[in-house]
Amino acid sequence: MNKPTIKLCYRKIIDINSAKPWDKLVFDDSYAEFRMQVQNFAEVKQYPAFGELVHYVPAARKLNQMVGPAITGYIQQLNEVVPDVLNNLGRRFLKFKHYQFEIINSHLNDRSKHQVAISFFSEPMVWHSTIDSYLLLAAAGQETEEVFTHLVQLQPYLSIHTLTECHESYTIAS
Amino acid sequence: MERKNFLKSLMVGAVSSSVLVQACKKDADVTATSGTTTTNTGSTGTTTGTSGSCSVAPTETEGPYPTKSPASYVRSDITDGRSGYKMTVNIVITNANNSCNALANALVDIWHCDAEGNYSEYGGSGSQSTNYQSVHFLRGRQTTSSSGAVTFTTIFPGWYTGRATHIHVHVYNSSGTSLKVTQIAFPEGTGTALAIVNGYSKGMSGYTYNASDNVFSDGYTLEMATVSGSTTDGFNLNITLAVPA
Repeated sequence: MNKPTIKLCYRKIIDINSAKPWDKLVFDDSYAEFRMQVQNFAEVKQYPAFGELVHYVPAARKLNQMVGPAITGYIQQLNEVVPDVLNNLGRRFLKFKHYQFEIINSHLNDRSKHQVAISFFSEPMVWHSTIDSYLLLAAAGQETEEVFTHLVQLQPYLSIHTLTECHESYTIAS
Repeated sequence: MERKNFLKSLMVGAVSSSVLVQACKKDADVTATSGTTTTNTGSTGTTTGTSGSCSVAPTETEGPYPTKSPASYVRSDITDGRSGYKMTVNIVITNANNSCNALANALVDIWHCDAEGNYSEYGGSGSQSTNYQSVHFLRGRQTTSSSGAVTFTTIFPGWYTGRATHIHVHVYNSSGTSLKVTQIAFPEGTGTALAIVNGYSKGMSGYTYNASDNVFSDGYTLEMATVSGSTTDGFNLNITLAVPA
């Protein structure tokens, strides 16, 4: 039977209260980079808060991309496995190759206002079934009759990012 | 939706996810109807509210242990595969508030356009691949030595309409406070590197020279580099910039 293929998105929020070592490194380095890059916008002296700055200077939105390279080293240290999201056996299992870094809030002079998010986009998973609040997923591309699956619980900041239905037209077009 | 457009949209999907196509092919042999395959998600509706507040605790071996990792701007070779004539950029930073002595431990960011006159776009607004290389080509950061020096390996920049050839420089103190934003200008005239490179494939027709450049036209003697070398051996750029630290 046909099963939809999905990609999950986990949006990880990091702020001054984040306690894990990886999160703290991302917090510190993204804030240091933000402070450096935001000084490329002269208006920051007038609008030191990120939200205010992008309101009055829309071009400052590209700070999201300018600050991103501060954390690429930490992304690579994850070895393409999404952090925090565990299967029901308590293991990280979700593979990713794409992510997006964004600044939620920040402030030139107030470290406690700094808050960022990293959205991890998973590799395709076949959605076999839903059991209570758990999704039964299997990595796409398993050609065997018996496939390895993961049960993952629906939880805050975890969402289905894309869904692909399989049908005949799709195959013809490919 | 028109059939043509529908098929086109499917083609787009097919290109971006070859794994998906394979996964689907197998099933498509068996049944061809769409719509009957959707898993019923309605049954989860009553339980998601309570499941949200707790999740399974990790029961894995501790780790991975993250290690301090510098921003990926931090590299001496900023070429990232961009084609052009190799150029070594040597910048010395001095302190205008301290008798122009060398300024150690300053952070120096540089960025410039490629041979065609384009800047890297920081990876755009969409999601970024874990293979991040070349997302920020021709952008780099180094920390000055005890003699105030930093060195970058790059290519001789191209040019774009309205501007003379230039390299952007942003100098920070060791704690990241901005000390100076400036640009490096290139010597012009017969025999100069600018004339030898001759604007790469673009040529120099329509080029904006320093005297008419809106940044440099108010005077650029302090921003003028010395550039020597050849297209075969590569070029060397040298400049000393005094900043108030």
